[in-house]
This record gives sequence, C-alpha cells and structure tokens, in this order.
Amino acid sequence: MDEIARSFAGQGVGSIFLYTHEAHPGENYPHHTSFEQKLAHASAFKRNEGVERPILVDALDGACHRGYGSMPNMTWIFSRAGVPVYKSDWTDASSVQNALEYLTDVRQRRRTGLRLAPFRVERVDFRNQDEDGFYAGLARSGRKAVDEFRAAMEEAQTS
Amino acid sequence: MSEKNMTERYNYHSFVWELVDPWMRFHESPPLGTEAPDFPLWHLDGGQTSLSELWAQKTYTVVEFGSYT
Repeated sequence: MDEIARSFAGQGVGSIFLYTHEAHPGENYPHHTSFEQKLAHASAFKRNEGVERPILVDALDGACHRGYGSMPNMTWIFSRAGVPVYKSDWTDASSVQNALEYLTDVRQRRRTGLRLAPFRVERVDFRNQDEDGFYAGLARSGRKAVDEFRAAMEEAQTS
Repeated sequence: MSEKNMTERYNYHSFVWELVDPWMRFHESPPLGTEAPDFPLWHLDGGQTSLSELWAQKTYTVVEFGSYT
C-alpha cells in the first residue's frame, strides 16, 4: 500500500493509515485502555514496520472506525468533497491500485471533453491470503493472539 | 450504552467470536456516492485533525483502517 501511495502521489492522491483497535490483542500489544497507549502502539507500528504513509489515530472508542463499519482492515477512497467512491471490507493492494487507475483515468477522460456521469457498481475482488505473514503478525502481538485465533478458527469450523 | 461501556467493548481484550462479531458491520457502513460522516482524528504527536480536513487536501484520499495486530 505504501508503494501505491508513492506511485499515485503525483496525481492528486493522498494516502493515510488510520489506526483502530487491536484486532488480535496479545501480551506485547494488548487491548487499549488509554489514548496514550493507542498512540504508543501506532507509533511502534510506524517505527517497526517502516510505514511510509501518515498514520492517523482514531478516538479511543473507535468513533470513526465504527462509523464506517469497523472491519479490521478495510480501505475507503474519498473524493475531495468527502464522497466515498470506493470501499472494500478487506484491503488488497491490487484492488486499490485498480480503483485508483480507474479514477485517475476518469479525470483524464473529462479533460478531453467527455461528459461522464457517476453510477454505482458492485463487484467481488480477490485478496492474497498470506497465511505465513498473517501468523507472523499474530506472533508479534504475542502467544495469546496466536492461540486465540487458532481456537476461534477451530470453533468456526466445528459450528 | 454508556461511553465507558462502549470503549471497553470496542477495545475487546481477547479474540473470541462473541466479542469480535458485533464489530463486523460493513453492511451498515455509509453508502458510496453520498457525503460521508466526518470524525476527529489525531496525529501521532497528539495534534488533532479530522477526516474532512484530510480528504479536502487531495483529489482522492485513500484511507486504510487497521492496527499493528
């Protein structure tokens, strides 16, 4: 996502990471009990993972996150007028890149004099499932996060 | 629900379905194509801004929601 942010920065596209709650709290990164702790987790994320995009932090009660559906890793694209033009319940870099290529192309087509009217479209995209990377992320949070996720997956398979 | 109760429920302490499931509400999220709700946000240095201040700066603004874990 940082690479996409870099490649579209010159075309009027801004990109941020919005820090929410800990989806998989563990011994190293437990659930938030104060806003200062939330800021510290977000700073550690930026520092340790080398995130290039600006990181903004939501309120402790997740007002913004909850207002947009509170999925753990979703992506939204807003126009300058504050109108969402893309939303995905999970983040996939290819999907976001595809959307940005389409949106920036609309600007180019309008500059040629075409009159383009907005319409809504729904589709199903496909995200990469990096299981090793996901479990490495859980381990970073702590053994508790790994064990709880495994238990939740087993519960889901048996129910 | 009280503000304290909401904050505690939102910041669930363990990944178990009964605590996680209530937050999977994408189907209730704002629709595309109409003005979206604005919320206050904070920079890492604690300075306050808002979603609307951010989206007003660029033709398009990509917002990825997430956390370290």
